[in-house]
Amino acid sequence: MSRRVTAAVLLAVTGLLAACGGGEPAAKAVVAGQPVYGGTLTYLEHQPPSCLYLPAAGFYPNGGLLNQLTDKLTWQNPETLAIEPWIATRWEVNKDATEYTFHLRDGVTFSDGSPLDASAVAANFDVYGKGSTELKLPPAEFVNNYERSEVVDARTVRFFFDKPSPGFLQGTSVIGAGLVSKKTISLPYEQQCQLKNVVGSGPFTVANQIVDKQIDLKARKDYNWAPPSSKHQGRAYLDEIKIIVTPEDNVRVGALTSGQADFVRYVQAYDEQTVKSAGFTLYAEPTRGVNNGLYLRPSNSILSDVKVRRALQKGTNIKEVVDTLFTPSYPVATSVLSHLAQGYTDLSKELVFDPDQANTLLDEAGWKRGADGVREKDGKKLELGVFVSLPQPLSKQTLELVAQQWARLGVKLEVRPGDAGTLAVDIKNAEKTAVSHGMVGRADQDVIKSHFHSANRDVILSEDEQLDRLLEEQSALADVARRNEKVAEIQRYVVEQGYAIPLFEEPQVYGGAPTVHGVSFEAVGRPSFYSVWKS
Amino acid sequence: MRRAGQALLVLWAAFTASYVLLHLLPGDAILIKFQNPELGLSPEQLARIRQAYGSDGPAAYLHTLLGFLRGDFGYSIDTGTPVVERLAEALPETAKLAGLGFAVAIVLAVGIAFTPWLRELPSLFVAIPVFWVGILLIQLFSFRLKLVPVIGGSEWQQLILPVLTLAIPICAPIAQVLARGIDHAATQPFVQVVAAKGASRRWILWRHVARNAMLPALTMAGLTFGELIAGSVVTETVFGRNGVGRLTEQAVSSQDTPVLLAVVVLTAAVFVLVNLIVDLLFPILDPRLRS
Repeated sequence: MSRRVTAAVLLAVTGLLAACGGGEPAAKAVVAGQPVYGGTLTYLEHQPPSCLYLPAAGFYPNGGLLNQLTDKLTWQNPETLAIEPWIATRWEVNKDATEYTFHLRDGVTFSDGSPLDASAVAANFDVYGKGSTELKLPPAEFVNNYERSEVVDARTVRFFFDKPSPGFLQGTSVIGAGLVSKKTISLPYEQQCQLKNVVGSGPFTVANQIVDKQIDLKARKDYNWAPPSSKHQGRAYLDEIKIIVTPEDNVRVGALTSGQADFVRYVQAYDEQTVKSAGFTLYAEPTRGVNNGLYLRPSNSILSDVKVRRALQKGTNIKEVVDTLFTPSYPVATSVLSHLAQGYTDLSKELVFDPDQANTLLDEAGWKRGADGVREKDGKKLELGVFVSLPQPLSKQTLELVAQQWARLGVKLEVRPGDAGTLAVDIKNAEKTAVSHGMVGRADQDVIKSHFHSANRDVILSEDEQLDRLLEEQSALADVARRNEKVAEIQRYVVEQGYAIPLFEEPQVYGGAPTVHGVSFEAVGRPSFYSVWKS
Repeated sequence: MRRAGQALLVLWAAFTASYVLLHLLPGDAILIKFQNPELGLSPEQLARIRQAYGSDGPAAYLHTLLGFLRGDFGYSIDTGTPVVERLAEALPETAKLAGLGFAVAIVLAVGIAFTPWLRELPSLFVAIPVFWVGILLIQLFSFRLKLVPVIGGSEWQQLILPVLTLAIPICAPIAQVLARGIDHAATQPFVQVVAAKGASRRWILWRHVARNAMLPALTMAGLTFGELIAGSVVTETVFGRNGVGRLTEQAVSSQDTPVLLAVVVLTAAVFVLVNLIVDLLFPILDPRLRS
């Protein structure tokens, strides 16, 4: 419980508005009166959706769309992070978390009329768990140690794992675990990527699509299987949602404040004030995972020395970055994980800015300042490369500011813009890309494994067997308390090894018109428009 | 006949040059598409996928070239849809935008060139980037004055601001050349002769000066076609329109070679065509060129 108290205090201190997801909009709905049916919501997206194969739904433009089209086996309450029933009305997990049995709700259908039954669920998770070579479908990162499924009867499905998989229950609630029809899941990758082939059981269906420009959704009249904990049941209030791709930041914000749009994603830090002062609602949703940060790669010949990595960590003024470029919607990181993440432990003492110690460490490591101020050792300059990370807000500005801070230490950070091709080639090369900038959101302990494990995202191009082992141990601990302890140990290890310079807890920031009520968000900040109504 | 041969040569050169350049770039579309960390593919899996998409080298070049000759542009690697389909979606949008943009630019250019006190405008118009013009027009006409919506609205409403955005920088060089042409023609001896014969100022301006001033302006107009395409990339992005410009921008960022090749060849073809038309118009305007 103390973690939640700390969280509440931190929230108050940082003035983080609406961080509690579902809580705030619900309060608003009460103030604004009774919900009404009908109307169209105009939602402006920053980027067009990419491949819509469900395990790739994490990309926010995909998630904002697929969250309206698909339902999940379970519902993760964004406030308590508890896993609650949805399509599965109840479930049993054996003691060592190697066997999960789900009992499904009756009468749920996909929008093509086919039943959402045990065999459909089994077909989905067989693909998410193992992938399919012949259909070119990669497995999903939220399912670990999957072995097989068993259809017990039409309403009961059982999953078997070859090692404990305590993260699986939460895994069934994530955006990528959206359930699609048996027909969809048996298509090859290329086909599953296309919106027209995505058939879900969600409250909305696709009415019309202009590729890369606009997607019109319409409410499914017979939808009647919202999570039982939702106050709103039955069909969605809205008749229609128009998702319009609007890449320009100030066009999105201007369209919102001038009344041409109802809801927009990706309000930049510098636009937040415009939205607020126009009397519009700003939603800064936490992503509850590995923080936005710089990840230092030990396989780089300079960064192989832990002293250098620690020096860069100590010499980075995180607070200056956040104060200069961001707003209170972006809380300063206090660990590798967000303070709202599962298994978070406070390491703010370890992460205090200390340029003197940074300089000492670099001196100790044998890097001496050269004539141009850049440190040298054996004729080699202390120069490191990093790519601008396009999905991260103000990544270029962030990296340039860090480069200035590091320049004071005598370290040169080369910030590369990174066209997609160069990036794709060089990102896996620790010599050329010594540092990577990124984050990953998911409200489960497994998120830290996704980020660091050499077989997952592997942001630090890890050769550290101990780290891999710790991550695997964590993902196989069935006991929550012990698992959280292990996750805390990993965070401490990552910081002590200087693998991470956590910067801030990256939010998803949305703007909404005052006439829009009832917006809720899943645990990682993707909007759900099911309970939305317009006054 | 010779012109047609030249045109084909230009198209082939454009195709080959872009083919070579695109293949020299680091990375490729398959790598970009599948490096999504969520998918977590191993290098071996990537290699297998790449194999499924076809080989590389001279054979691939010939294969692609022959495809283009048959009108088969292949498949977009990014979306998996035929390139022809994507072009068919994008082309009418850009044709509308560029066509109207060009027409408005001509009207603006003529208006500016024939109105002495507007003559300072082109240097301003040349100086401001398309991107900025677009944002300014949106802020003013859509967000402040609320005259035209940028989100939703009818097809024509959605065209007004993008067309203006495109027309403003395009009209500037044409207006400048036309204005200079007018000034130059007005000092020619034949103008004095016509004036001495008692022609009115208006007669002189329209029948004699304008016709002479038009030739360089026409050449300029033909050349601005390239700018029109470049401008539509920016305009379509700012206004979130779905045209060839936006398609190009996305194809560049994902290194979608088949799409880019098709766009390059198509653009080159239209460019060649426009300049052919300009050349054919010359003799109509100037009797001296008819022989």
